[in-house]
Amino acid sequence: MIVAQQKPLEEIKAMIADAQKVLILGCGTCVTVCFAGGEKEVAILASQLRMATRLEGNEKEIREFTVQRQCEYEYNEMAADYIRDADLIVSLACGIGVQTVNEQFPEKLTVPGLNTSGLSQPTEQGVWVERCQACGDCILALTGGLCPIARCAKSLLNGPCGGSQRGICEVYAERETPCVWDQIYHRLKELGQLDKIMDIRPPKNWHPSRDGGQRKIVREDLRL
Amino acid sequence: MSDKEYIVGSNLEKALKAGYFVATGELGPPQNADRKEIERKARLLKGLVESVNITDNQTAVVRMSSISVAVILLELGIEPNIQMTCRDRNRIAIQSDLLGAYALGCRNLLCLTGDHQTFGNHPQSKNVHDLDSISLLQMCRDMRDKKIFQCGEPIKGQEPRFFLGAAANPFADPFEFRPYRLAKKVRAGADFIQTQLIFNVPKFAEFMRRVVDLGVHEQAYILAGVGPIKSLGAAKYMATKVPGMEVDPEYIERMTNCTRGLPSPAEIKAMPPKEAAEARRLRQEASEAEGIKICVEIINECKKIEGVAGVHIMAIEWEEAVDEIVKQAQIGPRYDPARQQPTPAN
Amino acid sequence: MNYAKKLLAEVGLEAERLEIFFLSSAEGVHFAEIAADMTERARQLGPNPLKKSSGVKPWTQMEVKE
Repeated sequence: MIVAQQKPLEEIKAMIADAQKVLILGCGTCVTVCFAGGEKEVAILASQLRMATRLEGNEKEIREFTVQRQCEYEYNEMAADYIRDADLIVSLACGIGVQTVNEQFPEKLTVPGLNTSGLSQPTEQGVWVERCQACGDCILALTGGLCPIARCAKSLLNGPCGGSQRGICEVYAERETPCVWDQIYHRLKELGQLDKIMDIRPPKNWHPSRDGGQRKIVREDLRL
Repeated sequence: MSDKEYIVGSNLEKALKAGYFVATGELGPPQNADRKEIERKARLLKGLVESVNITDNQTAVVRMSSISVAVILLELGIEPNIQMTCRDRNRIAIQSDLLGAYALGCRNLLCLTGDHQTFGNHPQSKNVHDLDSISLLQMCRDMRDKKIFQCGEPIKGQEPRFFLGAAANPFADPFEFRPYRLAKKVRAGADFIQTQLIFNVPKFAEFMRRVVDLGVHEQAYILAGVGPIKSLGAAKYMATKVPGMEVDPEYIERMTNCTRGLPSPAEIKAMPPKEAAEARRLRQEASEAEGIKICVEIINECKKIEGVAGVHIMAIEWEEAVDEIVKQAQIGPRYDPARQQPTPAN
Repeated sequence: MNYAKKLLAEVGLEAERLEIFFLSSAEGVHFAEIAADMTERARQLGPNPLKKSSGVKPWTQMEVKE
């Protein structure tokens, strides 16, 4: 799922510095599940901002609202009155939600309260690890179900490089990031598909990825 | 290598083909725009080795580019091995640079993936990695042998023709896969290989046994990476702080013992300045002599390992040591007794 | 608790103002000790700086439209 982390309080305070009535707008989908921007997080942030701005002698009026999913107009409509009444909206949704609210209510500026940082898997309680880079051309069938584009620091297609030590990637060694090519090698071995790692993979076509420009999917069969 | 014709005809290729135990060297470009430092280092290496590697923003630290330094070396009559990494340039820039490199006289090219930018002085930069070392090798070989660009378009006119090299790390994991990866690089187009620094000969010998089993040594020339240890501190650093490097504890012991009998650093601190300086000099001399001795021993052991066609000497920031090393090991154009005649002219 | 203290610290309030204790109803004496300690702590830290009213009227929550 999409995961994000809340920006430092100082940064959010700076963004609301010139506004008086601020709405903290949460989202009930991805950011709720990663505990960054759901109803509870909205309440905590609102509380912190009230306290912080009062301490600085510049108290703001902070309001709270959470919609089911900020990337869809129908859900954001439910917050319309709150939005129209505010000077500034701090969205605790992912980057998509922030932009949707800006687009839907252009007369108000909606700023991001989170840093959206990946398409990740919750590997254990409280930990999210990046798994996908949305490159648009999935090669998981060739690598035993492990993605080198997202999980290799150098996005190698013909890995591992010489920096693979005891299964750990030398980049950020202190984080003990596993070398995904070491994992791919062992997985292909278990599956009896080691020939796949001996094939020379040609350079990736990056065109379906962000490199080719903003991506758009159109399904004529689904359009009204 | 039954082919009598040279692929490219560089000095390096000719020496390897002639069957000499070849030595290549290395030069690290400066972190500034001044050519004087290059000229100084180049003079220390000239005539001692077949050709000289010029690193490409090694460890992701910005330095003068490999190709530009290569041109300076060519002016000084030294054959360069240019390096191209995949970290900083996409396929367009790489092909473009290589067209120019050939036109400027470069003939040996090492295709590398490149150290990650987090290791260097610009960790905030975007890393490119459009290609990796293997697809880069293939692209360069196809430019040379099929006369096509990566996109498939034919190259009209002179194609860039490089003697292609690649790196190999016998000490990385998974160890059982490394000889196969080397085979993959050779299949992709590598004509010669340079390994990482070797300070664990038995493990390297095991690696070479597997490589020879695969027959790879007959399809590419393999040069063992060697280098002198400058001090005990350097030995310990390599043993503990450098990922992918294995140092036999015996060498650390020898670097420790070589200064036995001389004043210790603690004793030197208590000495008057003149005596202290002299004591430090003696310690340094002893360390350096031992470090070079170990390097020469490793070279001599590599000579006996089947499949090893030569050595790649890395004496970064200590280029002065190379003369002593090749002299003691009796390798290279100047000191190899098998090469009484001068190297064939290009 | 550590998380709550961190939130307070970010805001600029002393983390020591907040504490959690676990007691059973039989520990009357212990409760009194803790109360005395916290009172002393509060005294040393000074009055809650948030108490000063800034004159801003709270922007009342509107009713949620169903």
